[in-house]
Amino acid sequence: MFFSTADKHEAIRARAREFAEAEIRPSAPAFDRDSIFPDGLVKKLGGLGWMGMPYPEEYGGAGLDALSYAIAVEELSRIDGGVGAIFSTHVSLASWPIFAYGTEAQKRKYLVPLASGRELGAFGLAEHDAGHDAASIAATAIAGDGCYILNGEKRFVANAGQAGIYIVFAATALGVGADGISAFIVEKGWEGFTFSEHYDKLGARSSPTATLIFNDVRIPKGNLLGHEGGGFEIARGALDGGRIAAAAQALGIAQGAFDSALTHSKACVQSGSPICFRPAVSFRLADMATKLRCARLMAYSAAELRDGGRPHSMEAAMAKQYASDMCLEVVNEALQIHGGTGYVRGADIDRAYRDAKICTIYEGSDEVQRHIIASHLIGIAPTGDLADGGRPSALTGLRKRIVLKNGTVEERAHALVKNLAAEGHDFTIGIDIDTPISQAERVVSVGKGIGTRSNMPLISALAIQAGAAIGSTRPVSETMKYLPLNRYIGMTGQKFNGSLYIACGISGAGQHLKGAKGASTIVAIDIDPAAPIFKNCDYGIIGDIRDVLPALTAALDNGMPKRPAPPVQRPAAPVQRPTAATPTWRRYICSGCGYEYNPAAGDPDGFVRPATSFDAVPEEWICPECGEEKATFIEA
Amino acid sequence: MHVVRKVTDDLYWVGANDRRLELFENIHPIPNGVSYNSYLLLDNRTVLFDTVDWRVCRQFLDNIAGVLGGRPLDYIVINHMEPDHAASMGEVLIRYPEARIITTEKAVMHMRQFGFEVDGRYEEVAEGDTRSFGAHKVVFIAAPMVHWPEAMVTFDTTDGVLFSADAFGSFGSLDGRLFNDEVDFDRDWLGEARRYLTNIVGKYGPHIQLLLRKASNVPVKVVCPLHGPVWRSNLEYFIDKYDKWSRYEAECDGVAIIYASMYGNTESAAFALAARLADKGLRDIAVHDVSNTHVSYLVSETFRVSHIVLASVTYNLGVHPLMQNYLTSLRSLNLQNRTFALIENGTWTCRSGDIMTKFIEEDLRNMRILKERLTINSSMNDENLPALEAMADSLLHSIRQLAETKK
Repeated sequence: MFFSTADKHEAIRARAREFAEAEIRPSAPAFDRDSIFPDGLVKKLGGLGWMGMPYPEEYGGAGLDALSYAIAVEELSRIDGGVGAIFSTHVSLASWPIFAYGTEAQKRKYLVPLASGRELGAFGLAEHDAGHDAASIAATAIAGDGCYILNGEKRFVANAGQAGIYIVFAATALGVGADGISAFIVEKGWEGFTFSEHYDKLGARSSPTATLIFNDVRIPKGNLLGHEGGGFEIARGALDGGRIAAAAQALGIAQGAFDSALTHSKACVQSGSPICFRPAVSFRLADMATKLRCARLMAYSAAELRDGGRPHSMEAAMAKQYASDMCLEVVNEALQIHGGTGYVRGADIDRAYRDAKICTIYEGSDEVQRHIIASHLIGIAPTGDLADGGRPSALTGLRKRIVLKNGTVEERAHALVKNLAAEGHDFTIGIDIDTPISQAERVVSVGKGIGTRSNMPLISALAIQAGAAIGSTRPVSETMKYLPLNRYIGMTGQKFNGSLYIACGISGAGQHLKGAKGASTIVAIDIDPAAPIFKNCDYGIIGDIRDVLPALTAALDNGMPKRPAPPVQRPAAPVQRPTAATPTWRRYICSGCGYEYNPAAGDPDGFVRPATSFDAVPEEWICPECGEEKATFIEA
Repeated sequence: MHVVRKVTDDLYWVGANDRRLELFENIHPIPNGVSYNSYLLLDNRTVLFDTVDWRVCRQFLDNIAGVLGGRPLDYIVINHMEPDHAASMGEVLIRYPEARIITTEKAVMHMRQFGFEVDGRYEEVAEGDTRSFGAHKVVFIAAPMVHWPEAMVTFDTTDGVLFSADAFGSFGSLDGRLFNDEVDFDRDWLGEARRYLTNIVGKYGPHIQLLLRKASNVPVKVVCPLHGPVWRSNLEYFIDKYDKWSRYEAECDGVAIIYASMYGNTESAAFALAARLADKGLRDIAVHDVSNTHVSYLVSETFRVSHIVLASVTYNLGVHPLMQNYLTSLRSLNLQNRTFALIENGTWTCRSGDIMTKFIEEDLRNMRILKERLTINSSMNDENLPALEAMADSLLHSIRQLAETKK
């Protein structure tokens, strides 16, 4: 082991450098100035077979190793950081998830065109309120009839608009955090999928970056990548591999800046000799070269570990973090060596200076990399007793909030019935409309929006076809007296805990919503689009209930009397909710007083930080309550 | 007039009973009284193991004098410094000026704090130290936090007697009997033993476990606690109870319904549930009113059974104050591993179920709460019956599941 690359790697480097010098360098200033996507270049890279460099030849790839790929990224970035970003986004983030998690059909359909360079790929993970914390993703992909309906936005997406194939992460199950995130393959051009304007970025300007906007985009079920809820794992795997490419990109940008500074310092003569011989410059060059070598060895070593099938998550994070920090330092020194000439736009060094900054931000900021490294060193900090911050949610808990807007009232009513049927509501069965609320699986509930008593038959007709009992808000029973008191649902009335709640003309007062929050599915029908009920429902139709109710009644009517529903077996399986999860760390109790050391809280007065396990507490630490020595503590 | 019992050939119980005391620790009612046990060994040297509460000091002094029969007292072994055992120490020191104290370093500190004149009269011992008094050789075993930090137990290696301090004690006056085989323990003593242990030392389960492990390494034949009967047979029975209590494991799969009711409406729901449980074949059902049951009984009951139903009115937007007091006691005593079901009642705002859930989830450990909750608006009515039924079914299901996991 001589810590050197093999000949085949240096051959890749030579070809990449030749390509970059010939094809990229002349156009790079223009790409940068006008934010031009280098379309021709990408096609040429595809022609070289490099757009699928680390993937098997049977899928259109080049079958090369991770180190070859890292070197290619480095060499492209050496000339243009934006091109490096286009390339690594395509290979590491867009193609890898399909290679690693795709079915054979998905690989044939999507990996082959990606790897062969016919299509460009992109990766949509980040959102406004979800950067590194993928568990906070707000985009939703709700399962419907043979498809998922994707809604939401993805921002900071490299290759946006130019790419034909997108890996997109969205929540398929709500309220379960990371466990509800799934990955999808989405094609450009699908109805409802649009892009924002490209960002006017500080650097990496040849790499087009924009926000993806999804508005009721239908994704075929076959485009789910991996399994439902498996998205977080896929994202993490892609980012692990992406880190080595990100390190290589920082390395390349820095190398380009260094090469430029070295050349300049030899050519620039001041006071009779080239400035490179001044210690102020030569020492700078020495430091830059040292840092470059250090970053290169780290990046290559991580790539080698990946090629060898060895764990490399921490090493890749170290390489990415160090290389990006190093890159900023090197481009700064390189520009300083250039002096005033480097500060003028169009000089390559000014572009490297601006391109460099993205390296400490994207694909997991430096802070995130350190977090990853630290988690490998010391594990995840105990947090069981710390407040979890809590998530904001509607009064009725997490709801889908799909408001059906398209088509006539009849079409919307049919769409609603279709959605409900897809969720498993069987409208061939039903219960008597006078079934007690506490025993009703379904309730059609009426609010003040019903208007005059003469409209009440609309409610009973709907209840019959929905196979539901009739319920109401408190004013409808207590004040308007349309229904008896035992029919109203709310905090002071009865609580509904069945499967389907259809709220008709109910604006959604908090009192009422709290009584209905146990419902599995809530449907809202009201004329006021601003009514709170629409923020608390799974499905909504906005409209006059005198129009919507008959349409929905008709859509539910299969022409047959409802078969009696089987008696409600509640609880089908009694569910116990465990209280606070058993902590993963051990608790220790003082033998001098019974004080219990809580790792989450630590002992700040004793200079023990929160989230310090008992093992890590200094031996000289004493019990904060009685002064007993650490050694006398016993495990709880 | 001395009143003593012989424990072994040369060891005497010289303690005393107290039936006049209302509240033990000025907290816990003791309707059956309590005994303060002290033991006197007549070997080449005479050794007193612990003393008694000041309330019964006169009887105690008579007992010592009677057993000594004019011999001097050579040593006083103090296993535990809490005043219900050590308050009479000062008087013994005055009456027997030759006597020397054998105890732990921390106990000496406590003696000074309580105002006893011990300078020049004590010998400090630590874990594993031994003393020989003639035929009898004893070894000292540290027992921190059972139930104070200075506590130790003393094991007589000659005849297998363990002077166990507060461990293995019980509320209740001995009334002439001394040994566990002289009483019907299950019928007359188990409840008070449980109430004593769980309320007094319940918090320190891990330290009791530590002591049980240490004690299992010595061949114990007789256990001499500081309260209640001396154990000379069937030790494993009582050790098993202690093991369960200190591991916070229930003794039986049953339901205790603990309710807080202002006007009887919540109480009615508690009885309705109890009746449904009985209808469905459950036999171990207990119902307690927090307002007229001292919390020590409720705590003890909660240590006993696997399932607890809490029924509370909403009071000032919280739970009933006495229900809150009970819940706080569970937290203080570290009770764990129970399953709860909740009945809540409110006339204009029903909050007690959520509040009890939050307390159980956040302030207690390793608890489970059944999903089925019974919500009552002022009083039970027909609409509540399905929820009542569901809760009864869920409790029985959960009890069956528990029984199956034990198989």
